[in-house]
Amino acid sequence: MTVTETKPRIEVAGVQKRFGTVEALSDVSLTLNEGEVLGLVGDNGAGKSTLIKTLVGIHQPDAGEIRFDGEAVTIDGPKHARTLGVGTVYQDLALVDELSVAENLFLGRKPVRKLGGVLPVIDERTMAERAERILRERLDIELDPDTPVEYLSGGERQAIAIGRALVTDPDIVLLDEPTSALSKAAVERVEQLVQQLKASGHSVIIIDHNLEEVRSMTDRITVLFQGRTVDTLETAAVSRDDIVSMMVSGKPLGGPANNGADGQSSATQHSTSD
Amino acid sequence: MTNQSPILAPLRTLRDSNRTKLVLFTLDNLIWPILLVAFLFFSALLPEIFTQYRNIRFLLYTSAGLGAITLAESICLISGNFDLSVGSVAGFSAMAGALFLTEWAPGAPGVIGILVLLCVGGAIGLLNGVLIAKMGVNPFLQTLSTLIIFEGGILVLSSQSVYGLPVSYLWPGEAVISIPVINPIPVAIFIMCGLFVGLWFVLSRTRFGRAVYAVGGNEASAAEAGIDTDRVIIAVYVISGVLAATGGLLLTGFNGGATPTTGTSQLFPAFTAAVIGGISLFGGRGNVINTLGGVLLLGTISAGLVMLNIDPTVIQTVNGIVLLAAILLYTVVHQYRERLLSDL
Repeated sequence: MTVTETKPRIEVAGVQKRFGTVEALSDVSLTLNEGEVLGLVGDNGAGKSTLIKTLVGIHQPDAGEIRFDGEAVTIDGPKHARTLGVGTVYQDLALVDELSVAENLFLGRKPVRKLGGVLPVIDERTMAERAERILRERLDIELDPDTPVEYLSGGERQAIAIGRALVTDPDIVLLDEPTSALSKAAVERVEQLVQQLKASGHSVIIIDHNLEEVRSMTDRITVLFQGRTVDTLETAAVSRDDIVSMMVSGKPLGGPANNGADGQSSATQHSTSD
Repeated sequence: MTNQSPILAPLRTLRDSNRTKLVLFTLDNLIWPILLVAFLFFSALLPEIFTQYRNIRFLLYTSAGLGAITLAESICLISGNFDLSVGSVAGFSAMAGALFLTEWAPGAPGVIGILVLLCVGGAIGLLNGVLIAKMGVNPFLQTLSTLIIFEGGILVLSSQSVYGLPVSYLWPGEAVISIPVINPIPVAIFIMCGLFVGLWFVLSRTRFGRAVYAVGGNEASAAEAGIDTDRVIIAVYVISGVLAATGGLLLTGFNGGATPTTGTSQLFPAFTAAVIGGISLFGGRGNVINTLGGVLLLGTISAGLVMLNIDPTVIQTVNGIVLLAAILLYTVVHQYRERLLSDL
């Protein structure tokens, strides 16, 4: 699992975000390269979800820079992030219980047709067909697209949230704890999905509390601690204990703190200790 | 029964799930059987009179203004918001339109007066929407203040009723057209039905309409999915203002002139009709067509009481009891619904 591509898709440099007196992000830097799966780990409150929400423009950074394909951008909101090719699965899933599966899959971007050539109405048939295709091909679950989401189980809801992130065919996918509500079998499906995404050239950032899952899915791992980047390491070169120690201590392995965006350079210096 | 064959088990599940769907459908549209029962009740007490076509027509006619104002309230509730100002917006915009035609620009065509009325309603809605969406003002407090401001504003404009309005200003609420089979019938009934069908269409068939439900169901989720929730909320309040003003116009025609009290008295009935029509106070749920059932139920009850020679001052008390019964009913239905869903 060596990283051959080094073309950065997203670069986060020194990003800060404050909510009142609380500093959610104090100094976060990371790089997501083309075609790689980057794991984002850290204790509760380390700033993982805040970072994801900053990347899709729900929060605006107070300082620092976010670059897409080398170009500094100000992201207005999720819609803008989508046009930059980003699909997101939020930790809270961001589903509307009252609406149907199909409506949730296409929330905020329902296909329309012109009624009588003028009146734009939702194209229910296209929406149902596309929803059915996504459910079958991408998620491999059997569901009636008309079912309200409130009828679904936790795993099914998670699948719908993932499906929605893929509706726009993004080439960057952000997954904030996509497996937290899933059974073991369903987790394996998510792992397969991540591998499929990677194989088809997508770049993926995945937040996950289960370090075994992170280690099996990712190419590199960025560790956050109290709103700052501790280090970024190659997954193959780091043990579970190493990650835990960085998450808890907030210090990189061995050497002095390396908060630079280019964390992967230090990765090769550490060998697996288990 | 405990020993089910493996073949029958899935069939049974299928039947159960269909039954659940049927039960949920009935619960969602409960207002129509209730309306039917109320109608039959008064028909039994007032044989021959109550079921006359003339009575039903009058019932629909008196419901027109309230219907429009109920829609104004309903769209706000569906978006997860609140509008206490619908009644005073109706009264204020109707009075502004009437004064425009009689004092500010006498001789102007009635249509211009209608435009003024709609613009005033829309402008107040815009004010509500912008302050709620952009400034984060609590919708209850925001619309409470517009309720007070414009209820007072009506009296600032005129403490007396304004009559002598152009025919075209009164036409939507007053005119009667002759159509074969259904005899002469007030235009207002058609306008009301048009508004209900129109708003239902917008809310169920357009992107904007579905966004209103999404924002009402879960505003944070809607925002995360890329819906511009501020714009949706502002648009909802503008539409609410325009609908309330339309209600004011229909009431003006019904009364033959703009009176200072007609609009303001409509807030509670409109709210009651929306709730008994199944619009959720928590947003994201409800069908505006069913609020027509709510409007007609209130109309049926008050017409029935009047015809039974019961003191008209009792009507508000009865409406309040109906509202309480509806709230209790929907609370029970909500709990039942949760239980049904948890079985799935």
